Amino acid sequence: MVVWQEYSIGLLVVLVTAIIGFYVLSREKDDLHRLLLIDLVEIPSLGIIALLGTDLAEALVLPGLVVGIAELLALGQLYLTKEGLQDRPVRGLHIEVIDTSPAPVIISILLVIYGIILSGFTGGGIAGLGIVFLFMSRGFKENFSLIEAAAGISWAVWILAFFVFMFAPQYWYFAVMAAGIGILFKVMAKMALVGTMWGEGR
Amino acid sequence: MIAVGGEPFYYLEFGDIVLYFSPVTTTLFVLALLFTLFVLASRPERQVDIAFGSDAYLAKVITPGELHFRKFMATACGLASMGAMVTGDVFDFTLFASLVGITNIGIVAAVKNRHVQNAAYQYGLVSLSATVPLFSGAAMVAATTGTLSLIELAKGTYPAVPLAVKSFLVLGIIGEGMAPFYAAKAEMFRAPGAPYVIMCSLSSLLIFLRVVEIAMTM
Amino acid sequence: MIRRISNVISHFDHILPLFAAACAIIAAIAIISLPFTYVPDQLYPKTINRASNLDPYDRGGPPFTQAVIHSQYPGNSPSAGYVTTYLTPFSRFLADSTAHLGTTIVAHPGGILDEILYNTRGLDTVVEPTILFIAFAIASYLFRREE
Repeated sequence: MVVWQEYSIGLLVVLVTAIIGFYVLSREKDDLHRLLLIDLVEIPSLGIIALLGTDLAEALVLPGLVVGIAELLALGQLYLTKEGLQDRPVRGLHIEVIDTSPAPVIISILLVIYGIILSGFTGGGIAGLGIVFLFMSRGFKENFSLIEAAAGISWAVWILAFFVFMFAPQYWYFAVMAAGIGILFKVMAKMALVGTMWGEGR
Repeated sequence: MIAVGGEPFYYLEFGDIVLYFSPVTTTLFVLALLFTLFVLASRPERQVDIAFGSDAYLAKVITPGELHFRKFMATACGLASMGAMVTGDVFDFTLFASLVGITNIGIVAAVKNRHVQNAAYQYGLVSLSATVPLFSGAAMVAATTGTLSLIELAKGTYPAVPLAVKSFLVLGIIGEGMAPFYAAKAEMFRAPGAPYVIMCSLSSLLIFLRVVEIAMTM
Repeated sequence: MIRRISNVISHFDHILPLFAAACAIIAAIAIISLPFTYVPDQLYPKTINRASNLDPYDRGGPPFTQAVIHSQYPGNSPSAGYVTTYLTPFSRFLADSTAHLGTTIVAHPGGILDEILYNTRGLDTVVEPTILFIAFAIASYLFRREE
């Protein structure tokens, strides 16, 4: 007699939700709704990874999540291009407090400092949020190249850290710091650029 | 040891993820490498439209920006396929396959033609939803055997991977490498610039061959 | 009949419904073939020590000592275990004085997840920002071309 462990019971629940999601996806005709539904279907896959229940599972959820977000970003832009929705200007927030008081700057600085303390992916996300908030409230002057250069250099720093880990493991402390800082700046720069992509700057 | 692909003769160790070069994986790797070099060296074809009922013909213009972008995407696609050919870790393989999928979208999406972009969008949706069976398949391999390393799985001392889990992985690869079979038909090949579009076909063929090897190894 | 099927397949609007249906069918097959046996001997097992200030992520040891990590090939990463125990001075201070650093440690430098993501399974994390980078390149190319 086969035994139903907790793992199989959890798998049953997640697979049923996946079937529901895929069924709805196969019935959907509208392009935009398809994109949104796929975002929904990704959640059962994260659930199956999480069912592994080890530290490894938590380390695998992160790549799974990032891949989903990345492809969503590319496909969203492709959707805008294909539907010709790009020439609709989006207007920034024009609220008096945000336009005149120093509040947005202070909030952004706090978020960036907190992000730097956290470092890594999470820190990059939080610091990037601060920068996006500043751009949203104060408008944005075109200077992509500087941010892109920062993103490129920090990517190189992270690759360097990877090779130190692999080939000179005794310098692991340097590698941890380099990896944390590299990923922090990389994610922050990407987030900031994405945040400016809809802006009134153009 | 690894019965299907032959005995590995070289291991490249990156911590838990070990790349291995066996006769089969090396052959596929060299194929991907050669084609990547070919893409880097070649110049794209130029399409010509012939106007009906007259002697006129129109050459389609490819801007340098688009050319660079597609060359970059095709090169990235080649590098991703090279990684997917030799990796010895199931989860790493699924990540490389997703990278192949998204670079394939990039190769096609750069074309400024609404019809082609529509095809690219639909193909992108498929490759995005294919990450679901891919990642869940890899996670279930880890749960049912206790390892993700193909070298360990090939030893045969681990429990067998259930058939349903293998089909999850294969289905995911079908989704990532679907370009040449469906969307690619006329719609994608209408996109000018021959060597880059062929990179889509080659990379998906390679990841298919590799996933067959992986499914038989497990 | 075959002609009708190939006609449906050839239209690119129908790929996604077909693929989604295939996924649903395979998931249903997986449900039929349940239960799967969960192998208890897993890599990187989770240990929980409720008394610790680093509650769910306490993997042992003060900073700059090497903890034992159950990785696939311990011989390939001789430094595994150092990153796990490392805490920055600031998070060290928080961990000593409060009981709330537990779940935040995954975001600070050091800890078990940094060990797996940066060190033992570093190649995964190399591929992953590359996917992000490619996706970003596609989006920004499409965005800027219109200007």
